[in-house]
Amino acid sequence: MSPSDRPGDDGPLDPAASLRVIRETQERARAANEPDCRLLYGVWGVAWLVGYLTLWTSSRTMGGQPEGWAFAVFGVLLTSAVVITAVHSIRRTAGTRGVSARAGAMYGWSWFLGFVAQGAVVSGLAQAGASPEVMALAANGIACIVVGLLYLGGAIAFDDRGLLVLGVWILVVAGGATLAGLPGTFLIMALAGGGGFLLMAAVEQARVVRRRRDLGAASPEARRA
Amino acid sequence: MPEEILDPVIHATARLRVVATLAALGSGDEIAFPKLQKLLEMTAGNLSTHLRKLEDAGYVRVTKTHVGRTPATYLALTPRGRQAFEEYAANLTSLLKGAGS
Repeated sequence: MSPSDRPGDDGPLDPAASLRVIRETQERARAANEPDCRLLYGVWGVAWLVGYLTLWTSSRTMGGQPEGWAFAVFGVLLTSAVVITAVHSIRRTAGTRGVSARAGAMYGWSWFLGFVAQGAVVSGLAQAGASPEVMALAANGIACIVVGLLYLGGAIAFDDRGLLVLGVWILVVAGGATLAGLPGTFLIMALAGGGGFLLMAAVEQARVVRRRRDLGAASPEARRA
Repeated sequence: MPEEILDPVIHATARLRVVATLAALGSGDEIAFPKLQKLLEMTAGNLSTHLRKLEDAGYVRVTKTHVGRTPATYLALTPRGRQAFEEYAANLTSLLKGAGS
């Protein structure tokens, strides 16, 4: 290995070293500019799994609606997931501008508006005299539809197959969880919804490991110490 | 090895890293100078020198603007620069195939 193999030096390169520099540099650039899907799917997976399991456990022991503390735990988990997602995405796109940054901002606002509308619809149902059971089912089902459709929108905007699969799955969960009624709806949201996110996080992790291995295979003799 | 087919503007480690980083952005995207500098771990002076060479070759577009009152510089590949990078990468691959086995 000659010293000129090390990126940062200004010497000439052989073709294998050049290809390696390209791969390593682009991997690093993507990691710095694009949100880490593993983190986002993981955070939402844990929030849904633990949050909805808490609601389910409380609802089952009470034989009806979950207790206040369970809703509090659920609320804290979901709020944390929203904050982590927003901070992470904004940090990653900081320092870039153009088509992708604009699309990302519009996508972020779409989520916000989707949930403002969901909140308004649920309040409207309450005012119209919906029972607590209808409220619980509608709130979850509508939220799930918003999530599923926005993932499909993201798949279209960012040409992302993972988001497409997740969007379709969350829409299936929306229907299934609502048809299940109380308290089963919470269990389905936890296992199928939260589990779906965690499965996608695992798939993304496997993809990253495979890419890194390919990168290593392309340069067996010259890993930087 | 017939390395003459490799574009000399790109075929130097520092500039290759600059071009590869810019090529990793979407074609409608730009990156701020400080973020590019941090990504590449180059000094501002060194990076500016290479960017000027790439700009002179018509490969990089430098946009100077203001964010509030602070001046900001954004960098992006030109269509010509992107095409040059893609040709460079394709030439590398064919060189390796020719040299291999």
